[in-house]
Amino acid sequence: MTTKTMIKQTISVAAVKAISDRYDEPEWLRQARLAAWENFVAMPWPTYKEETWRRTRLTGFHLEDFELPQTEVATFDDRQHLPEDLREALDKIDSAGALILQDGQVVYYEFDDSLARKGVIFTDIRSAIRTHEELIKVHLAALTPADENKFAALHYALWINGAFLFMPKHLTVDKPFQVLVLQSAGVANFHHTLLVGEENSEAVIVEDFIGSRQGMSDSVSEVFTKQAARMHYLRLQNLDESAWNFSTQRASAGRDALYRQLQASWGSKLSKVWIDLELEEPGGHGELLGLYFPQDHQHIDHHTNQNHRVPRCTSDLLFKGALDDHARSVYQGLIRVWPGAQKTDAYQKNDNLILSDHARADSIPGLEIEADDVRCTHGATSAKVPEEYIFYLMARGLSRRTAVRMIVQGFFEEVLNRVPVPGVRDKLEAEIAHRVGIE
Amino acid sequence: MTAVLEVKDLHAAVDGKEILKGVNLTIRQGEVHALMGPNGSGKSTLGYVIAGHPHYEVLEGDILFNGESILDLSPDERAKLGIFLAFQYPVAIPGVSFANFLRAAVSSVRGYRDRIREEMERTGQFKEVGSELIPMREFRKELMDTMDRFNVDRSFARRYLNDGFSGGEKKRGEVLQMAMLKPKIAILDESDSGLDIDALRVVADGINKLVADGMGALLITHYQRILNYVKPDQVSVFYNGQVVLTGGPEVAEMLEEKGYGWIEEHLEELQSEKIAS
Ligand SMILES: Nc1ncnc2c1ncn2[C@@H]1O[C@H](COP(=O)(O)OP(=O)(O)O)[C@@H](O)[C@H]1O
Ligand SMILES: [Mg+2]
Repeated sequence: MTTKTMIKQTISVAAVKAISDRYDEPEWLRQARLAAWENFVAMPWPTYKEETWRRTRLTGFHLEDFELPQTEVATFDDRQHLPEDLREALDKIDSAGALILQDGQVVYYEFDDSLARKGVIFTDIRSAIRTHEELIKVHLAALTPADENKFAALHYALWINGAFLFMPKHLTVDKPFQVLVLQSAGVANFHHTLLVGEENSEAVIVEDFIGSRQGMSDSVSEVFTKQAARMHYLRLQNLDESAWNFSTQRASAGRDALYRQLQASWGSKLSKVWIDLELEEPGGHGELLGLYFPQDHQHIDHHTNQNHRVPRCTSDLLFKGALDDHARSVYQGLIRVWPGAQKTDAYQKNDNLILSDHARADSIPGLEIEADDVRCTHGATSAKVPEEYIFYLMARGLSRRTAVRMIVQGFFEEVLNRVPVPGVRDKLEAEIAHRVGIE
Repeated sequence: MTAVLEVKDLHAAVDGKEILKGVNLTIRQGEVHALMGPNGSGKSTLGYVIAGHPHYEVLEGDILFNGESILDLSPDERAKLGIFLAFQYPVAIPGVSFANFLRAAVSSVRGYRDRIREEMERTGQFKEVGSELIPMREFRKELMDTMDRFNVDRSFARRYLNDGFSGGEKKRGEVLQMAMLKPKIAILDESDSGLDIDALRVVADGINKLVADGMGALLITHYQRILNYVKPDQVSVFYNGQVVLTGGPEVAEMLEEKGYGWIEEHLEELQSEKIAS
C-alpha cells in the first residue's frame, strides 16, 4: 500500500480542462481541446461496417481501463546518470539531439547548441509552446485534424506533450534526432509528433515507442516537408505486447520534396495505424516503408493512403511482414490519383511471410485513379517459407531454426537496405533475430 | 582415417513413386567416382536422398558413412559429418548474402555453434549474439582467399544467394560453398551442365583442387565432357534407378562411343553380369 492520495484521473471532459489548467495553456489551445472532445463524443465508436475497421475488432478495449498520467517522473541532466537501458538506447545512435519523454514529461533532453544558433528548434512541444507559440499554433493539427477519426479526436482532447522539430531553410543536419517515448503501465498516453522541414532543409528523426504495459498509446504525427526539403522519419513501435496502440500519421510533401518514412510495428497487443502521404505540389516524392512481425495473438493493422493530388509526383510503398503463432495482420492501402494529377508514378507492395499454420495476413491493396496519364502498380503476396529454401540451407549445415531465421532476415532485407541510419538498422535486425528466436 | 560413403541396395520413393530401385555405390575420400546416366534415371534423387531431403522416403537399404547409417540424421547433421551436395538447381534465396550465410554455415559445420552451446550449458552463462560464429576477420580473410584460389569473383560475397545468378554463376557459387565447407564427401549434381568452356574449366579446376586436398567426389553427369578435365577413379552407369555398370575411366569412353542406347539394349546382360560378379 502506498500512502499517496492521488485521485484516479479518468478520461472525461473534466480531465480535458484539467490539462489545460495545469499547463496554463493559451486560449486557442484550450478551445482546440474542447472542440476535439466534442468531436470525440460526437463520433461513434468504430464498427466493422466501416471499411477501415472490417478486419480489426476492439473487443476487450474499454477507455475506462486506462488512467491519465499523473505521476511526476525523475529527470536527468546528464546522459551518464540515465538508467542503463535508456543510456544504451541513446548511445546506439550518434545523434544531433535527444529527447526522452515519459508519459509526456521530459525525462532527459540534449541538443547541440550550434544547431540552435543556426535556427534549428528541437524540443518537446510543451516547451515550444512557451518559446515558439506561433509556430506551434500554425502547424498543430494543420495536417492531421481532430475530426480525422475518433482516436485522433481523443488525442487532441487529451495530449500532454510530444516532440517538435523545426528545420530552417537550406540547412541539412546529417545526424539523426532521437526521441524516446516511454509510457507507464496502465496509462493512456497521447504522444504528438510535429516535424517541420522548411524549404530545402534535410533531417532524420528516429522515434522509439516503449512500454505501455496494459496501457494505451494514441499518437498522432504530422510531418511537413516543404519545397525541396528532405525529411526522413523512422518510427519504431516497441510497445509492450499488452498495449493497445492507435496511431494517426500524416506527412505532406511540397514541390520537389522528398519524404521518407519507416514504420516498424513490433509491439502492442493490437495496433491500428493510419499512414497518409499527401503529395501537394508537383515533383514531390514519398517513400513509405513498413515492417511488422507479430507473434502469439498480436494483431497489427496498417492502413495507408498515397494521395496524389497534383501532377508529376512519385510515391513508393513497401510493407513487409512475417507472422508467427496465432498472429494476425491487416494491410489496407490505397493509391489515390486525383483528377488532373497526370504523370503520377505510384507503387505499392505488401509482402507477407507466414511462419505458422495459425497465422493469417490479410492484404487489401487498392487503386483509385481519376487521371489518364499515370503509372500505378500495386501487389500483395502471402507465402509460407519455402521448404526448398530450408533444405538448401540445412544441407549446408544450418539447423532448421537458423535456416528459417536467415530466410526471414533475408525477406526483410529489402526494407532494411533502405533504412538510412546504421544504428537503426542494427536495432531492427536485432529485433527480427530476437523474434525468430536465437538458439 | 579415410572417410567412406556407402550406398547399399537403396530403394527410395518420392510422392509414392519408387525412383531408386536398389542402388549400390561407394565413394572414398580422395577419389572421384563419376556417375553417368540419362535424364530422368534418378541421379538427382540419389543426391537428395544422400543429403537427407525430407520429401524422399527410403524404402529399403542403407547409406553408411564410415560404416554407420546416416538415415536417421537430419540434413544439417549429415553436413556436419562432412557430406555436401552441390545442387543441380540451386535455389535463389533473396536477401541472404553469400557472406552471411557462409559464415553461419562454416560456424555450424566446424563446431563453433556446438562448442558455444556446450559452454553455455556448462557455465549457465549466456554468450553474446555472434559469439557462436567464426570471428569476422578470420572468416573474411578465408573467404577472400578462397574466392581468389577458386576463381570466384569477390563480388559474390555481397550478392544474395543465387538471386539473379546466371547458370554458370550458380555452379561457381556451389563450388565456392564446397571450398569453404571442406566436406569429406561431395555429391556434385551436374555441376558441369549449362557451362561454357571457361566456366567448365573453373568448376573442374575447383573440384580437382579439393580432391587433391582430400575430398571424395561423386561426380554426377550427363555428358562425358567434364571427364576431360576431372579424371575419375571409377565410373558407374546409372539407369532407371540402378547402377548397371561400374568400372574404370574406360567405361566413360565406351559410353561416349556407344551412347545410352547401347546400355538399354544390353540391360539384361549387364544386370546378369552384376549378379554373377
Ligand atoms: N515429386 C515427384 N513425384 C513423382 N515423380 C518425380 C518427382 N520428382 C521427380 N520425379 C521423377 O523421378 C525421376 C528421376 O528424377 P531425377 O532424380 O531428377 O533424375 P535425373 O537427375 O537422373 O535426371 C524422374 O522420372 C522424375 O520425373
Ligand atoms: Mg538431375
